[in-house]
Parts: sequence; structure tokens; C-alpha cells
Amino acid sequence: MTTMTRGAYALPGTTLNYHTGSWRVQRPEHRHRAAPCHHACPAGEDAQAWLALIAEGNRRAAWEKLIEANPLPAITGRVCHHPCESACNRSQYDEAIAIHACERVLGDEAIANNWRYPVDAPSGNAPVVAIVGAGPAGLSCAWHLLRHGIKSVLFDELPQAGGTLGTAIPAYRLPRDLLAAETGRLLELSGIDFRPLHRLGRDISLDQLRQEYAGVFLAPGNQRSREWSVDGVTPRDLHVGLDLLKEWVSVGDVPPMTSAAIVGGGNTAVDLARALKRAGVAQVHVITHQTLPRDHVRGDDAMSAIVREIRQAEEEGVTFHDQRGIRRLMLRGERVVGVEMVRMKKMVRANGRMERVAFEGTETVLHVDQVIPAIGQEVEPFGMEPLLHGQGAFEVDHWGVVSGHSGLYAGGDARGGHGTVTAAIGDGRRAALALVRHIRGEAPPKERLEEVIEIGQLNLHYYEHADRAQEPLLAVGERGLDNEIEGSIETTGADREAARCFSCGNCLACDNCWTLCPDSAVLKTTELARDGSHYRFDYDYCKGCGLCAHECPCGYIAMGEEV
Amino acid sequence: MRDMLEGSQAIARAVALCRPQVVAAYPITPQTHIVENLSKLVADGKLTTELVSVESEFSAASVALGAAAAGSRAYTASSSQGIMLMSEVLFNIAGLRIPLVLTCANRAIGAPLSIWNDQQDSMAVRDAGWIQLYCADNQEAVDTTIQAYRIAERCEIPVMVCVDGFVLTHTMEAIDLPTQEQVDGFLPPYRFNRALDPRRPISIGTLVAPEYFSEVRHANHKALERAIDEIEAADRDWAEVSGRSSGGLVEVLGDPEARIGILTLGSATGTLLEALDEYPDLGPVRLIRLRCFRPFPFEALRRACAGLEQLAILERALSPGLGGIVGTEVRAALADLEGTLHIRDYAVGLGGRDIPLSTLPRVLEALAVPESERFRILDVNLEQLPEEDR
Repeated sequence: MTTMTRGAYALPGTTLNYHTGSWRVQRPEHRHRAAPCHHACPAGEDAQAWLALIAEGNRRAAWEKLIEANPLPAITGRVCHHPCESACNRSQYDEAIAIHACERVLGDEAIANNWRYPVDAPSGNAPVVAIVGAGPAGLSCAWHLLRHGIKSVLFDELPQAGGTLGTAIPAYRLPRDLLAAETGRLLELSGIDFRPLHRLGRDISLDQLRQEYAGVFLAPGNQRSREWSVDGVTPRDLHVGLDLLKEWVSVGDVPPMTSAAIVGGGNTAVDLARALKRAGVAQVHVITHQTLPRDHVRGDDAMSAIVREIRQAEEEGVTFHDQRGIRRLMLRGERVVGVEMVRMKKMVRANGRMERVAFEGTETVLHVDQVIPAIGQEVEPFGMEPLLHGQGAFEVDHWGVVSGHSGLYAGGDARGGHGTVTAAIGDGRRAALALVRHIRGEAPPKERLEEVIEIGQLNLHYYEHADRAQEPLLAVGERGLDNEIEGSIETTGADREAARCFSCGNCLACDNCWTLCPDSAVLKTTELARDGSHYRFDYDYCKGCGLCAHECPCGYIAMGEEV
Repeated sequence: MRDMLEGSQAIARAVALCRPQVVAAYPITPQTHIVENLSKLVADGKLTTELVSVESEFSAASVALGAAAAGSRAYTASSSQGIMLMSEVLFNIAGLRIPLVLTCANRAIGAPLSIWNDQQDSMAVRDAGWIQLYCADNQEAVDTTIQAYRIAERCEIPVMVCVDGFVLTHTMEAIDLPTQEQVDGFLPPYRFNRALDPRRPISIGTLVAPEYFSEVRHANHKALERAIDEIEAADRDWAEVSGRSSGGLVEVLGDPEARIGILTLGSATGTLLEALDEYPDLGPVRLIRLRCFRPFPFEALRRACAGLEQLAILERALSPGLGGIVGTEVRAALADLEGTLHIRDYAVGLGGRDIPLSTLPRVLEALAVPESERFRILDVNLEQLPEEDR
């Protein structure tokens, strides 16, 4: 029996006794959704997460977050075609976040300050994986294995690590000392054993690797150019794009020519075009079936080369002929004197398939004394013949398992189908994760499919327009062989860009929900809650009005049905 | 030592001696001088208190309520329409069992508007649950104010000290003010064990459902009944300190053996005492003065009335349609004596009408008429009314 107090006062005497949460039919929930940048990154970087750490003023933590996916940010910050920025929701508002420029700032800062990789030396009896190829895929795989306590031996036929990064990317895009610094820091880590000048099939054999190591990851790159001809005709003095580029990168010179037509729309074509310009070739043309990108927006069938590289090439005097095919080689004897181009377009045919169609009557003639195909490369099968079955690339699953060969993984350019540095880094990471499971005798991890948040799910009223940071560019006249053309936006620029980030699908700690909840049913905590936000819902009092969800700028709060 | 003081001034000094921590009041005739004198004491540095200027009597009572609930000794004062305006709060103060002291400078209630004395105001809130003590003179007002704090705080029941407006509040009288030491010794510092405290939050004024409301009312009623002992004890103990009794619950004056009695409240007591001297030939008269009206002192009243054959009640208020308020209650208290005790009830001194000494013989004369009305307003000049309203 309850005893009435004198004067009928109540304990504890507050309206907290009324649990208005029982009125609720919908409940707000923190729902982490993948930012489009995260989803788009072939390496698996969560740019939103590390941009948030920059915004918090902790660039070192941001770098550590970044290298959870990609151990080469100073490199990718320079050479990646950054699909993250194409996907960035902010691009539909004003301009995309300059994610690659921020990544570069973090990578450069880590090198300058010699930030320690947050990883422990593996134990002496840790399993060892053999990695063939010390390019981006191999380095990434070694790094991710190390993060899981597994050692690796990296074999490469070249004297230095980096693979295509060092052999085919010009120094004005990727300075060699920087490449050496970032790969060198990684190779110094205890648990990664780099063995240069080892070539598969010559110095080591695949069978030997499979016997001696806990697992094998093949990332040899594409070292052989695809065959090219026009109706079976090839000029006698044919130079292949990638070889020419490598020659220029290593020797600094190319065979004498006064004009050249490069065939292809990828980075090799564009890099080579710029290299020829630097080597003094007066007229450099790029002929591609694909379409020149317009205004940073990559339409269907656009050239696969990095947009800003195309722009810089145009500035430097390279002439692009897009949506053109070569109908005929014009030869004098066996030497090229020109090409006949025809307009081509990808169209839907009667059978429903897309097909390139040549338009009769659009033929034009281009007089050049070299035609250089840069239409892609394939795996040099030497030492790996049984795995390739005569194909130009490995057939692998999502985790890189070579079809029919358990414990044998392949990735990077050699897996075919992409050919970017970042994709190679992603391949290395996935293969490492699968290898870790394989070594433990477990099945490969489950693929995580996370909902990607679209711009319509953000509340843009809370963001102000702000210009994107622009990296400084060398004037065309100052561009040489080795001078890096793009400068850094520096830490101030990175801070500004991080502040521009919408924080798509993740808490921005803006206090909107806490401030605007009419029932004070959003509690602010001093420490991060497990779900990554400072706020908790007090479901005893939340009536489920949905105000917080509506006013959340980031789309981080969703209303779920009350069960 | 005695000082020649106006009633209001004496009451203000008595209040100050009780060291109130919060004083909140709104001026109204005839209470104004009490508050003015308290303000002056504060201004002169003789009283340290939180003097709150409020905008109405409702706020005055509310501030006093809140202050006392928060653990401060609180005081307020009012009259007439002011008592009406604060009546809602008065019920709350009593229902919440908040101890504080209010001086009611008794005044008629409009309409018609009157600034002069009667006791309709305090009588109108007699059921609010307050203790009501009626003072015969200003010395008693001083002594009763001091006693009132002890009673209120021991019983956790508010006390209304009723003093007739103008007749007492505006009259000079030789007052023996006690010393601060005397008051401090009699009245310990205020401690309220239900004081509001942010560290231990409680909610006062909550909703009480039917299954507990009767119990709360029972507790209030019983607390008032039990306060009888504290009221007597306070007067007795203060008499030991000061040498003066204020009359306890019911005071018997005149000839205690007389078979004819007159019962009254407040300052009319002095008038009747003087009339007894003025008219010595009227025979023995027992003068009964009801000091404590709430709680109603049944036993003390019955003892005071023992042996009476005739009783006249003089009161300064009425319940229209019923008659006397005090008279009705006295009649009820003495109901078992009906048949042997002849009781008549008269309203006198309404709206400031003078009560002259000659009231005494006229009342006794009226009382002697066996078949007279049980209640009437004395001294009504019907010719002053339109014929149809007489």
C-alpha cells in the first residue's frame, strides 16, 4: 500500500515518469550508409571516414584510416583517376570534393614526418606468402597480409619496386623520389621481404613457390602488347605505345619522328602523347574510338584516361581525334605516311547490342610518319603458361582465386578488365583477406554489400556552397621532363576540402538532432557511441516524430517501423 | 521597555524579530503600513530579508509559498480584496502543508466597495485550511505573530493572524516589544524537511487521484485538530518568556460565574470590557473571547460557556442566507445545551460601522427577548433602504 506523503508531493516528481516513447509508431535509427566515394573506390578506401578525421584536425589518424585500405596514398593521390570524385554527391551540388588532392596531402605528410605504420612485426613463425610482382597490387597484398600478421616475400624482375608506376608513368606525374620513398617505407616494414631481380620462370618457378609458401599471389602486370594491325597490315617499323613510353621513361628519348598518330584512349596513349611532345615531336595526334570527356563529367563511352591528364595534354598541344577509327594505313613502301580516319560511333544495332558503326563519307586523311598503337597489354605468360590457357589475362573470382587453383591468387593489371593503380591495390587487398582465411583453413569472407546513399537522401539546406580547392599547375612553358606538373593543395586546402564534405550517410556531429528534438529525446554523449555518433536516442521519450531524420544533413538517421 | 507604536508598525517590528528570510506583499488598505514599515526596516538596515515587490496578492502569496517550500521563513500580509485574490494560493499553501504566517488586516469585502473594517475577508477563507487567530489588541498582534511562526512550523500549517483594520492597524498603542534574544530563544531557525532541493528533486502540487484525495483531506483535518495543543502551548510558553498571555484558544473575561455571556472576536473585546466598566448596573456578564477560530476549539468553548443561561454572539461578518458564521458554529458546538441555553447572534460593526459602548446594554436588552430572531444585523436603519429592500 503506497503511503501518501505529507502535502502530497511526488517522487521523483518529474514528467520523466511519462514514457511518451510508447506513443511511437516509427523509430529513428542511426543507419550507416556507404558514401558514394567509398562505394566507388576500387581500392576500397572510405574517403568519407578519413575526410572526417581531417575535419577533426587529426590528419595522422586520417592517414591511418586511409591506409587501412590503401598503403600508397602519396602515389594514388597523384595518379588515380579518382572515381570517388565522379561519384561524390557534392558534384551535384557545386563541385566534388578534391579527394585525390587530400589523399596526396596525407601521403606526403606521412612520408615527410615518417609516420609509423600502425602494424606490429609478425611473429617469427608466421606463415609466409609469395608475391610475384612488386607493383601496386603486390605491395598492397603484402601490406594487408602484414596487417593480419602474415609475412610475405615480394619477387620482382626489376631492381626496384613499383612496377608500372616506375616504368610507364612519367615523372612529371609521379616523381621518382616520391615513388621510391613511399614504396621504400613499406618495404622496410618487418615482415615484408623484397627480392628484386627475380623473374618467374627464370629464377624461381611457380611449383617451387606453391610448395614453399603458404600461398601465392601473382601480380606480374601486363608486359606484352596486344597485337595490332589494320586489315592485317602493320608498318615495318612499328613501335608499340607502352614500349615507347617505357623507353622514354627510362632513357628519356624516343626514335626520331616529326609527327605521330597514337591509337588508343587510355592513360598509356595520353602519357605517350605528352612524352612525344616533350621529346620534340612537332605534331602529336591521339585517335580514339571513344569520346573526349566534357567538363569533368564522364559520359558513356568516354576515354578511359584520366580527365585532367587529357586536359593537360591538350594544353601542351596534343591533338585529340575522338570518335574516330582508322580505316586504312597509307604506306609508302612499308613506311607509314598517313592514316585515313573515319567517324565512328557506338550505336544500338537491330539485335539490341551496342556496336561501333563507321559513317561512310566521313573519311579524312592525317599525314603522320608514325602510327603507334596504345591499345592495351596482356600478361606475358612466361613461367605461368598452364594458368593462362592461352588467354591474355588470368581468370579469377572476386577474391582473386585463379580459376581451378585453390591457394593461388592473381590480381592487378594481369587480371584484365581494368588496368588502374587503384584497382590493383584493391585486388591486392582482397587477395590478402582471402589468403588470410585460406591459410587459416576458412572460407573467403562474405562480400559486404552496403546501401549507398544518394544526394536525395541528404538535407542540403544545411550546407553552404564552397569552391573546390584547386591544385596549382605548372604553366605549359615550365613543364619539362621531371617537374611535377600538379602541386599540392597543402594542409590548408585539405582542411577546407574536408570541411566541404557532406559526410554522406555518416554522422557529422552537427547537433541538429540534439538541438531540434522537441522531446529532448536525443542525448549527446561525450564519447563516441559504438555506431560512430555522439548521439543516442532516448526511446523512453522519443515519440517518433521524425524531425531528427528529416533535419539530419547526412542522411544518417532513418525512420524504421516500430515492431 | 514600552514603545508608543502604531499597530502596523508594531506588527512589522514583530515580524522582523522573527527573522523572515523572504517577505512578499502587495499594498492594500489597511494592511499597507505593515509592509511599508517592513520596507523601512530593510532600507534602514535593521532587517535582512529578501523583500520581493510583486504585482498582485496572488503573486505575493505564491512567492511566500515558494520561499517557504524552498526552506525560507516567509511572511506576507493582505486585506479584503487582496485576500480574495490570493484565496486560490491560500488553499494551496494549506493543502501543501507549507508553514508560513500571514497578517490579515481585516476589512470588508466589496461590493459595495469599502475600505473599512469588518472580518468578512478572513471569514470567507475560513475553510482554506489555515489556522486563524484573532487579536484583541496590538500587543496581542505582536505576541501572536511570534507565536504564529512557532505554531506554523511545528504543525506545518499556515497561520493567519487577524487584526481589525484601522481599529488596530492604525491605532497608537504602548507596546512592549520583546527582545531579539527572547524571540530567538522561543523560535528556533526554520527547518523544513520537505524543502525543495535540486539535489533531491520532488514535485509539489501534483495531481492526487480519488483513491487518495479523501486521505489527504483527512490528514489536513486531523492536523488542524491536533494544532489545538500547539496553539495553547505556544501561548503558554511565550507567556513564560514575555510575561504575557494572549488568551490561548478561548479567553474568559468579566464575571466568569455570570449566567449571561457575550462572545466576540478581535478588537470588539476591548470595547465590551470598557462597556462593562461604563455600565456597572447591568449585572454580572461573562465576556468570552474566541481567539482561535480555526481549528475550532470545541472543548475550550464548552468549558468557557459552562453554566450560561443566555449567550449573545457579536461578530463582524455574516453568511448571507444563513446568518452568523461564528454564531452558527458556536450554536453547533453547544447544541446539546439547547433548551437550557438561550443563544442569539448579532452581526455588528460591518464595513467600519462603529461599535459604541452602548452596544453592550442594547445587546443584553435584545437578548432578553425570548421570541426574538436567532440572528440579525444590529443597528440597521431600515429607513436608509428603499421600502422593497427593507
